[in-house]
Amino acid sequence: MRTAKFYALLKGKQVLLGVKGLIFLLGVISWWTPLNAWGTQAPKTLDQLLEQVRQDSLQDRKLNAKREARFLAARNQQKELLAKAKAELQAAEQREEKLRQAFEQNEKALASRETQLKEHSASLGELFGVARQATNDLLQIINHSLVSAQFPGRAEDLSAMVAHKALPTIAELRQLWLSLQEQMTESGKVVTFSAPVITAGGAVETREVSRIGTFTAVSEGKYLRYLAEPVSGLVELNRQPPSRFLEAAAEFEKAESGEVVPMAVDPSRGAILSLLVRNPSLLERIQQGGWIGYLILGLGAIALLIALQRFIFLLIIGRRIDRQRQQKTPSENNPLGRILGAYTGGREDVETLSLKLDEAILKEIPSIERGLPTLAILAAIAPLLGLLGTVTGMIETFQSITLFGTGDPKLMSGGISQALVTTELGLAVAIPVLLIHSSLSSKSNRLVQVLDEESAAIVARLAEEKQGLLEENRERDGSAV
Amino acid sequence: MGVLSDSLFRIELLLEKGGIVLWLILIASLLMWALIVERYYFLFLIYPARLRQFLGQWQQRQDRQSWYAQRIREGMVAEISVSLHRFLLLIKTLAAVLPMLGLLGTVMGMIQVFDVMTVFGTGNARGFAGGISIALITTMAGLVTALSGLYFSANLEHRVQRAIQYTSDSLRRE
Repeated sequence: MRTAKFYALLKGKQVLLGVKGLIFLLGVISWWTPLNAWGTQAPKTLDQLLEQVRQDSLQDRKLNAKREARFLAARNQQKELLAKAKAELQAAEQREEKLRQAFEQNEKALASRETQLKEHSASLGELFGVARQATNDLLQIINHSLVSAQFPGRAEDLSAMVAHKALPTIAELRQLWLSLQEQMTESGKVVTFSAPVITAGGAVETREVSRIGTFTAVSEGKYLRYLAEPVSGLVELNRQPPSRFLEAAAEFEKAESGEVVPMAVDPSRGAILSLLVRNPSLLERIQQGGWIGYLILGLGAIALLIALQRFIFLLIIGRRIDRQRQQKTPSENNPLGRILGAYTGGREDVETLSLKLDEAILKEIPSIERGLPTLAILAAIAPLLGLLGTVTGMIETFQSITLFGTGDPKLMSGGISQALVTTELGLAVAIPVLLIHSSLSSKSNRLVQVLDEESAAIVARLAEEKQGLLEENRERDGSAV
Repeated sequence: MGVLSDSLFRIELLLEKGGIVLWLILIASLLMWALIVERYYFLFLIYPARLRQFLGQWQQRQDRQSWYAQRIREGMVAEISVSLHRFLLLIKTLAAVLPMLGLLGTVMGMIQVFDVMTVFGTGNARGFAGGISIALITTMAGLVTALSGLYFSANLEHRVQRAIQYTSDSLRRE
């Protein structure tokens, strides 16, 4: 019951609120409405207000109609624009289609043309490849050929042709032909011409140079070689071949045309001659051996000195001993004489004599055999040192292999040549020392045997002769008595 | 004649290929052979004559037992032994040196090979052939000559020992 009453109350309040709101709304509208809309004269009565409102609404409707008409016009315009754009799009699509067709057609045409080109130029492409390769080869040959010393600047056209990316022209092909033919013809000629030559001292002189094909060039009795890099030109070899070849070269230069003379030719077109320059001399060889090589040579020198001293000593002693054997009286300047000196000719008993002789022999023998064991040891040591050098050289080689790999044999060969040079030196020292030692020791053996065995025999003969004389004397005395 | 000159040419070619060491080997082996021939000549012709001479001297003596006689006998044996042993050591040494010369040739050949390698790299096999032919030919020559010399030097040694033994025995017997 109570709630119903409250609801009625609320309802009454709501109605009250509604009326109040309407009035407020009207107030707001009246305030918002522009002054001219309300007319110049404010309504005096409600009827007038009604009339005015009616007229205003009429006016509004007219305005709205006008605005609608404007909107409609705008919409129509947009529609027209859209239609136009659509038409443009369609035209563009049509054009695209047309272009694509044209593209495809062109593509097909291109492919067919390409195959046509390939078919037509099949043999020609190969020809150009061959021409380019031949040009490259010829350029190499010409750059390193002696003929270029006579005709400098031949290679320029060819190098231009190699550098050229486009297909070679007929003129260039003809030039290639010409160059090939020229090289071929010139390589069969023996000619003399004047050309600048770089001498061994480094000076450039213009000299008469004789050229045998592409093989050998000589000037003033010296062999030349042709350098392509860094500057192309003839260079005098700073180490010339053996003298018989130099003489042949001088003869060759003096020869008249048509005369036949023997001449050395380097068939490798200068490679053998350049090898000659690089071939290390004896001194460089020894240097390659390193300190072990020097050690071996030092030991060899010591051995030679010892051998020389021993040889002279044994020669003199041997002479004197031989002379002593012919004589009866012992002389003090040789070992045999000194040993024989132990026998004084007195009538001493045999045992004392034998002891005395042994003592004298023992005194003499060391001086004869001195130095020989040293020689034997040196002869044994030299090859061992050579082996040591070999091992160190191999170690060096393997170190360089560790660093650079096995790719470059030139790097490895340095250590290997050290290894071999020391072995060579060791053998070269050991063999003569061994031979000298054997001849010296056979000589000294002979002398020792002479002293050892024959001295006793000589003493015995002397003693017997003396005894025989004594006995003869005694007999003579006895017969006299 | 043709065969002879052909084989001479072959020998010449071989010597040229072997280099200087082959010449040394040739000289050493010729020396060794000359000495060996001389030794056999001595052993078969000169030694018996000398032995007979010494035997005659010995037989002329009345006294062959005293200390003096013994010394004189030893002196005779020593003289014969010295002349028998002459050059034997040299022959032996030459036989020992010949393989070393061969080895020297090998090393020289290999050095030549490595010289070529230094200049041309490993590509030039023809360049190696010269050095390798020196190496192999000298080794072969050294070994062959040493082997023949070795037998004769041992044989000579043996014969000399027997000859000395025989000398001292025959001097004692008489």
